Amino acid sequence: MIPPGAGHSRYTFADMAIRHDRKISILDVMGPVMVGPSSSHTAGTARLGRVAHEILDDDPLSVHFYLHPPLAATYRGHGSDFALVGGSIGLNVDDPRIPEAIRIAEQAGVEIEFSEEDQGDVHPNTVRIEIESASREVEIVGSSIGGGVIEVFKINGFQTRFKGDSPTLLLFYRDRPGMISDVSGIIAQEGINIASLYCSRKQRGKDAFMQVDVDSPPSSAAIGRICALPDMAEARFLDRIP
Amino acid sequence: MIESFKHLEQLAAGRDVADVFLETDEQEHAVPAEMILEALRKRREVMRDCVERGKNGGESMGKLVGNEARLLNEAWQSGRTFLDPLTIKAELYALAVMGENSRMGVIVAAPTAGAGGVVPGMLLALEEERKIDPEKTVRAMVVAGGVGSIIALTASISGAAGGCQNEIGVASSMGAAGVAYMMDGNVRQMIHAAAIALKNTLGLVCDPVGGLVEVPCVKRNALFAVHGLTAAQLALAGVESAIPMDEVVEAMVRIGRSLPRGLRETAEGGLATTDTGNAIALRLKAEANQRRADRAAERERLAQERKAQR
Repeated sequence: MIPPGAGHSRYTFADMAIRHDRKISILDVMGPVMVGPSSSHTAGTARLGRVAHEILDDDPLSVHFYLHPPLAATYRGHGSDFALVGGSIGLNVDDPRIPEAIRIAEQAGVEIEFSEEDQGDVHPNTVRIEIESASREVEIVGSSIGGGVIEVFKINGFQTRFKGDSPTLLLFYRDRPGMISDVSGIIAQEGINIASLYCSRKQRGKDAFMQVDVDSPPSSAAIGRICALPDMAEARFLDRIP
Repeated sequence: MIESFKHLEQLAAGRDVADVFLETDEQEHAVPAEMILEALRKRREVMRDCVERGKNGGESMGKLVGNEARLLNEAWQSGRTFLDPLTIKAELYALAVMGENSRMGVIVAAPTAGAGGVVPGMLLALEEERKIDPEKTVRAMVVAGGVGSIIALTASISGAAGGCQNEIGVASSMGAAGVAYMMDGNVRQMIHAAAIALKNTLGLVCDPVGGLVEVPCVKRNALFAVHGLTAAQLALAGVESAIPMDEVVEAMVRIGRSLPRGLRETAEGGLATTDTGNAIALRLKAEANQRRADRAAERERLAQERKAQR
């Protein structure tokens, strides 16, 4: 399914007759290329798994999926379990191995677990994913809002709005004045346009997070300079999630 | 941005409609027209591969469907069909795609996976039967996608939001406009083809048996591929929808809102709650529980093996 004006963060049935300011593209309507049977239950969920995999950037040892109750009720019939696992081990939405994903993951020794967990007042197809490698762990919460379109609204406990439809920098750092300007300065020097920017922090002067959506990928030198900024704990670059 | 079908008719008067959609998308989403066309060329190939694989049939995940394409193909090959080749191919290709979809095969969502057989059924059958340049089919996919994107400004393209009219109706409408484009219709005819197709799906409910994209979805795709061809034929002959397309879409949204929840993809009404539908749902549930138990046993076995290795 494709919600109206898929660029919007939340939609409710009451929104349906309202004209939206962002048109969904031809390629969104005539696509995606995906493994069946359901664009919202299979393609979108595979992309959510893939986001977790890309942020982890390592071989996962365990993945735990906490499904919002409506998704928990419907996910098996639509193969969402295969899709979520497939994405989390790095498969694309159109990878014909998705139906085998759980077997592939278990043979690789990845521990897989599904449970039901109420995610609050969110889209029915919402899931919280905890993924772990030997040295790192990542947690995301996101929804498959239809037609393969996703929205991740929490990364490692930080509020955000990540759709995976553009190259993005995810930065984890210690909150301080000037950080946004330092980061945007480096990106500006590359001649790259920032499409949107979200920041959140757990407490003033403590852990903070910045998501920078850019029109084109920055050079690895620029990413290196961002990593080397004082108080920067971690900088992750994610290309568009296929 | 193209605000409405009325706006589209003004913008595209005397122009190639596909160019108008490509230019708008380029401005709106910063994707060059040639990249959109290249992506759609690949998607046309995916659709063709999907049709080829799907013709042979095979069991679906829920085992409710699977042999529709094979049976129709066999009947056709052995001279047991009575419809014309274009109609048969449209049905066959739509069934083939939906069969693949029900087996977790690779498909193109157009606009959704559950309604993904309609557009390829119509466009690929027409391309073959009328010997149309594949590049024109690709441009017809631009037109179909463009029509869907204008509908999506107002309506949620999902059975959960408004019933099957929002999925199969929209697919049929998109395909009808695409067919009108391939048959050299003008923009007004394309919009009326879309309106006639959509108008005649209004009220269609989403009541999937067992909640799966199998019954009635697979056969419905075949029937509404033909429905879309019929709408395009009328529009190309000069027949117009008395209600303009923009208003048809608004009517669809209103009807969708007044549909009870049980008829919006919840599997709690209609065909899903017939005696047979209920029995199938119970069987599916039992099988899912069995698979879960099997998987737990397999996990346990693997864990034991790893322990033994250590």
